[in-house]
Amino acid sequence: MKDILTIIFRLTVACLLAGLVMGTVFIATDKAKKHNVHVNEQKVMLSLLGYSAKNPAPASVAMHEVYRYLVGEGEALAMGYLLPLRDGSFSFVTIDLAGGFVAQNPVTLAAEKAGEAEARTAAIAVALGADKPLRYADQTIVVTDGGKRTAYLLPGKFPGFKTFIGAILAIDPDFSILGLEIMEHEEDPGLGAEIDQEYFKNQFKGKPLETVKKLEVVKTPLPEEYLKALEAEKSGLGAAEVASIQKQYQDKDIYALTGATISSRSVTNGVKAMVKKFAYRLAILDRVLAEQHIATPF
Amino acid sequence: MATDKTNLQLVVNGILNENPIFRLVLSMCPAVGISTTVMNGFMLGIAVLFVQVCSSCTIALFKNVIHPRIRIPTYTLTIATWVTVIDMVLAAYLPEAYAKMGIFIKLIVAFAIITMRLEMFASKESVNASFWDGIGMGLGFMFGMMALGFVRELLGMGTLLGYDVLGFKPLLFFVLPLAGFFCVGLMMAFFNYIEIVYKRAKRA
Repeated sequence: MKDILTIIFRLTVACLLAGLVMGTVFIATDKAKKHNVHVNEQKVMLSLLGYSAKNPAPASVAMHEVYRYLVGEGEALAMGYLLPLRDGSFSFVTIDLAGGFVAQNPVTLAAEKAGEAEARTAAIAVALGADKPLRYADQTIVVTDGGKRTAYLLPGKFPGFKTFIGAILAIDPDFSILGLEIMEHEEDPGLGAEIDQEYFKNQFKGKPLETVKKLEVVKTPLPEEYLKALEAEKSGLGAAEVASIQKQYQDKDIYALTGATISSRSVTNGVKAMVKKFAYRLAILDRVLAEQHIATPF
Repeated sequence: MATDKTNLQLVVNGILNENPIFRLVLSMCPAVGISTTVMNGFMLGIAVLFVQVCSSCTIALFKNVIHPRIRIPTYTLTIATWVTVIDMVLAAYLPEAYAKMGIFIKLIVAFAIITMRLEMFASKESVNASFWDGIGMGLGFMFGMMALGFVRELLGMGTLLGYDVLGFKPLLFFVLPLAGFFCVGLMMAFFNYIEIVYKRAKRA
């Protein structure tokens, strides 16, 4: 009996010690880790837009972050958008599900605090009045070049084969896909994990909205010339050739990964849903912005 | 039962006499699964080296307060703690290295070689000796993985460290997990043969 008690006691102490060490390290490193993730995200976004260290984005290019929330308006549900305004302040625009304008509330929020989820949500709650239920939905980044919209960046998550797949999608103002980058996933190595390979994610490049709307996954093998164009860096194909092959396959469906049909289909459906929903919501938001004369920088 | 070996002997012992892969035949899962390229072997080797040294020192430090009946859970707990700590520190301060090594580090918790070394050595010896033994075992593991990776990468893909050396792919078979067993077996035989020849030469 005494033995059991000592064992229990020592194992508990060992676990507590281990927990203490891990917890301390977590607290000490969490901020730096989040910062790294953020920096990486920024880098990926710029590379999706075609900029890199060698070819940096010009000063006229600006990114404006729009945060979408779900707001409880009495019994009904409404969409809320936190929009940056031209004078540097923020405004929270609520739109009901039918697309009608409900309210516009100014939000007091420092520009550098907008990226922090807690501070942002708290500021919106203050502006709306405390008792309204509020839930963060997603984020869109509107990219402008000299005041004109050049692209939208949509960070998003959708269900994969095992857990969620996190991705960033870049689309141009006509809702054609500019590029797709997989940020996080836990698919099977060698099978579903191939979704982050060039030859899969580049298949989405250049697909127009009409094609994306009815995009499917096909199980025919990837044609040789298309593979070369998708892996242009590896095969050393010229830009002009790549563009002509991409054009040829632009309206085709997505070729599934061997042995990972579910993962391929998850990404395809995820991208499809993201683009479709975004196009629908943006049309409503743009109409409301024009009707209410809200001066956004994009 | 303190060891009578010097620090250098402890390190050499881990690399040659008690090489984790070719002599102790431990941690065969990673040896077979991951040693497809030299770089993979090196990355996993570094990760194991860190975790082995840290865990060995911790266990050697606390060996007198660990209840003998729960030593295995305690070892696992120690390894898991170190793996988590190294994982978090790398993610925070060395993001480039983490992008390459992250998946290898998370694999380590269940490695037989580390647990076995804690049981056989660190739980009986001083902190200093355990430190050098950990270094030896880590380097031995790295050497084994890189040697396997060298053979498999060269024969399977015709490359070394990602550079094309042969210009063609001799036998794709060597990259497949199955070939890992063949490689380990053949190399074990090769090293045993060298040892026999060496001993014979010494005797003569």
